[in-house]
Amino acid sequence: MRQSYEATPDVNLLAQFPQESSFDVAVIGAGPNGLITAAYLAKAGLKTVVIERRQEIGGGLATEETLFPGFYTNPHAIYHLMVDYMPLFQDFDLGVHGLTFIKPNIQTAAVFKDGSSLVLCQQIEDSKDSIALFSDKDARRFGHLMRQWQKIVDDVLAPGTYVPPMSPIDMIEALNRGESGQEALRLTEMSPMEIIEENFENDKLRMALLYMSTMWGLNPRDSGLGFLVPLLVTRNLNKAQCYGGSHKLAGSLSRAIHQAGGIILDNAEVVKIDVENNQAKRVILDDGRVINASAIISSLPPPQTFGKLIDRDLVPSELVQTAENWEWDQWSFFTVSLALKEAPRYISEDPWVNDALMTILGFETYNELATHFDAVLSGKISDSDEVGGHATTETRYDPTLPRIPGHEVAFLQSHVPLSTKINYEEVGANLRDRLISKWSEYAPNITKDSIVASSHESPLDIETRIKTMVGGSIKHGDYNPLQMGVFRPHDSVIAGRSPIDGLYLCGASSYPGGLIIGGPGYIAANTVAEDFEIDKWWKTPKYIEKYKEAYLEA
Amino acid sequence: MREEHFDIVVVGGGHNGTTIAAYLAKCGLSVCILEERPECGGGQENTEPRPGFRIDPHATYLYGGAAPGFEQLDLAKYGFRMVYYQSMAGLVTTDGVAANLGGRWNREVAQKSVSYYTGQDAVGAEEVFLGSMGDDGLRDLLRSIFWTPPLPDSVEIEPKDAPMWQEFRKQLPGLWSERLVEMSFLDFLDEFVPWEPLRTFQAFAAWYCGAHPGWDGMLLPSLGGTLLVGYSSGSPRGGMHSYAHAIIRSAIANGARVITNASVGEILVKDGRAVGVKLDDKASYPEKTIWADKAVISAVDVKQTFLKLIGQTHLDASFVQKVRDVSLKGGSLYVLSVLCRELPKYHGREDAFPEEVYPSCVAAPVDSIDFFHTQTKDAYSKKKAPVLTKEHLTMMICQHDVYDRTRCPEGYHVLSPIYLEVPPPQYDVEGPEGINRHKDEITKAALDLLESLAPNMNSNNIVEVFLNTPYDSEFRNAGMSGGNWYGARQSEDQWFGSRPIKELGRYKTPIENLYLCNHTSHPGGLCLMAVPYNLMHVLIEDKIASPGNWWYPSPYYVADTKKGSQN
Repeated sequence: MRQSYEATPDVNLLAQFPQESSFDVAVIGAGPNGLITAAYLAKAGLKTVVIERRQEIGGGLATEETLFPGFYTNPHAIYHLMVDYMPLFQDFDLGVHGLTFIKPNIQTAAVFKDGSSLVLCQQIEDSKDSIALFSDKDARRFGHLMRQWQKIVDDVLAPGTYVPPMSPIDMIEALNRGESGQEALRLTEMSPMEIIEENFENDKLRMALLYMSTMWGLNPRDSGLGFLVPLLVTRNLNKAQCYGGSHKLAGSLSRAIHQAGGIILDNAEVVKIDVENNQAKRVILDDGRVINASAIISSLPPPQTFGKLIDRDLVPSELVQTAENWEWDQWSFFTVSLALKEAPRYISEDPWVNDALMTILGFETYNELATHFDAVLSGKISDSDEVGGHATTETRYDPTLPRIPGHEVAFLQSHVPLSTKINYEEVGANLRDRLISKWSEYAPNITKDSIVASSHESPLDIETRIKTMVGGSIKHGDYNPLQMGVFRPHDSVIAGRSPIDGLYLCGASSYPGGLIIGGPGYIAANTVAEDFEIDKWWKTPKYIEKYKEAYLEA
Repeated sequence: MREEHFDIVVVGGGHNGTTIAAYLAKCGLSVCILEERPECGGGQENTEPRPGFRIDPHATYLYGGAAPGFEQLDLAKYGFRMVYYQSMAGLVTTDGVAANLGGRWNREVAQKSVSYYTGQDAVGAEEVFLGSMGDDGLRDLLRSIFWTPPLPDSVEIEPKDAPMWQEFRKQLPGLWSERLVEMSFLDFLDEFVPWEPLRTFQAFAAWYCGAHPGWDGMLLPSLGGTLLVGYSSGSPRGGMHSYAHAIIRSAIANGARVITNASVGEILVKDGRAVGVKLDDKASYPEKTIWADKAVISAVDVKQTFLKLIGQTHLDASFVQKVRDVSLKGGSLYVLSVLCRELPKYHGREDAFPEEVYPSCVAAPVDSIDFFHTQTKDAYSKKKAPVLTKEHLTMMICQHDVYDRTRCPEGYHVLSPIYLEVPPPQYDVEGPEGINRHKDEITKAALDLLESLAPNMNSNNIVEVFLNTPYDSEFRNAGMSGGNWYGARQSEDQWFGSRPIKELGRYKTPIENLYLCNHTSHPGGLCLMAVPYNLMHVLIEDKIASPGNWWYPSPYYVADTKKGSQN
């Protein structure tokens, strides 16, 4: 925390937010999960405050003018994967705040130097048409597999995102009650590479699917979390972009909170959670303000919630260990954003590539991609031949981002090790140049003349903007079997309820995890509502009820 | 699709739009704010172009501390917090003078610093006032200048009996004389501030705080700008956008609907009445026509309101020409933001700016009043980019992070904004883009000048530089015509009941049910919550709003009793 040189004068000129205040609920962190939890609880009538370190709420739901002056980008989340499932959208009419998602048909493309390309679409027959250019067998297999995987997602994986986790033994017992569950269990024991190789023969399709299933941090060679592959691949064909920028979702949620009487306090960093007799009592802010609350809900990861904010001797020993041994993400992103005079046009024979929400480039073979991930996992940045990533022309589906008419905004994002392993202040500029040069190999109209402005963000920048993403950990912690399911963040935290009374967790480091899925926030809201014995004004979505009936209540 | 009806539709979610929405929502009206950008707040903006570093592209200090709105809209409840500064300002000259002018919360540093050069006690024009009035007196004087609705046409008064002079006489009977009414602030400075660098500083400060000090008859508004900033001597914690947050949240909590990315293309007029608005096709809202049952409030500037949003078929040609002729001179800013590792260490007296009382804004260089005249001539008379010598580039260099640690990461500083006033793009002899063609050279000259005054401001120290010209500002911030933060010159003929033109002086327009609420109406910019406060009187008068006990009017408010005066 930065100290000002001297305490500012003690002046009572204007009424300010009180030095000490009391709320039913204090949520630490106004990222997507913090906002979701607060929105449910405020609407339930609890006196709610959300405390945010940054000036802008939203966490990863950021839309910022990083290409100053005149061009907004979404520097963190842009692909919203779970819009079709998040209970939030059933429970709140966020459309009244102008919230709209664009979910284009052309979702994920992969381009290759020979002009060939894969165009994978929401409409599966379009995907098959593209795959057929490489392999008829794979095209047919893709069709069948996507139907099966979609069913697994609908039956168990999506609903499981919004109900509290169970112990592995209970989970196995539950999932064995149905076909979709059984298949999810079978896949769990496989690695992403094994699952892809089991199904497809074509090298380029394998590359694309491996990218789609692991891009957010699954280790391609590790088994134990294979059930996430169907979820990540199908959702990667159903991404939505928030019209007006990802921040609009945060803004709409914040308006729902204000409408319900909740308060959001920004530019306010929590420096301490006071615990007395194993009961969380209050939070202390960096400017000395005190907020008392019956429930304190932290969206921060364990090393911050338990390792920094609470006196160590008041934290249960198992959570001290979790805080100390927490594993951050295995990789992060390095992003180059460009303001351009024209949208990137790829060297593809299929013009649909230019309309894809996401375009994978730089990897000609399955092996090249695997080598890239291996290098990243070993803490290195790939040699220049293997550098690549995914690109999105943000303005393709959101014309509101550039302030200057007729211009486009696009980014290329590449996997890189966390900032703890690489000195990005040293290598950043070089990596940016390499990425732009790689990008222009695939989109030759990206030239010095067409670039109006550029910026780049390393994992270090990610942490600077959002302190919970330590080292650039966008998911607040690695996805590995020991930090997933009931173990996220620790099995003494049950449905967001920590062993310290009145202290709850709702962030990406809690079950089920990160990305803009809203699971931790929804689960925490339900738990707090139950502990406060308030009537839940919201109804469990039908597809979740169905899952509970079929798998949990037998 | 929904049929959308509101009592009030507010076009533009800048400072004035959000504030009037908060006021009217608190009156129980259904209110909708339509904002073109992803975020409301307008000029109350802090942008983070590099992670962790927040810059101020436009507004930068809390001028509005005396606003009734803080209380009336309960901004404290919605998170409003201040950071009060130990030193507001300092001045530097090319020949090594460096004086710390302190501020309201620390006068000692200024006395010490200025008397070092002058051997005298007084610190300038502000001191004449701040020293002789208590908190309440100063507040009431400021309210009489800024938080007072223009008088109805039917009320005729002598200039000396304008509310601001009535209050002046009451507060400062010893200082009052009738000739003050005709004076410019420069005339006043000649009499009251003998030390040339300080006089020059005061002139620049007034220019950047409001009415240009050379404009005749504008002594009080011109001086008033510096009194406004001196009144609270600080900024909202986190920057001006935090203040916007409190206003927006107050509006929403009182029931206002806020829709961003919703650009209004047209104000709908039927039978001479404003009935609603039509959104642009790319607006992020399913229903593109939004009806206003009681009033449309245009919180965009007067030119765009009448030249762009309302069809010319509804307007008289002579009226339209008057709107075209509203002068844009006066507030077009070339804004630099410099991220660096060390604060500038100005040459001259090493101990003038110790870190614990580092001035939040340094005016440099301010050797003589000629510097001021030279720069004014470039901007207004020659209508072109400044000549790049150090006598033409006096800058106001702000560094809020000295007192507000939320602005940037530890180990860094953000010099933002660094203001330099230039011609409005519309008047630039090289055309609207003229200034942008010179931006590399202007920026280089400005940084070279900074380094010549503070040798540690070299390339090792500077991490990154961001820039918005007035031309950029017009694009970034659709309501900022001319990249000009008050949008209509704050000279006597565009002030009070004549602002921006007589026909529009009381926020009403030739279109029934269409009201103006933008910095092009009285009393201009600076995020004072004053235009909406003043407009409220008129809306109450017109029986559109009826506030509860929380409302109190200006003591100088005079109702318009003439029936049908509106049109």
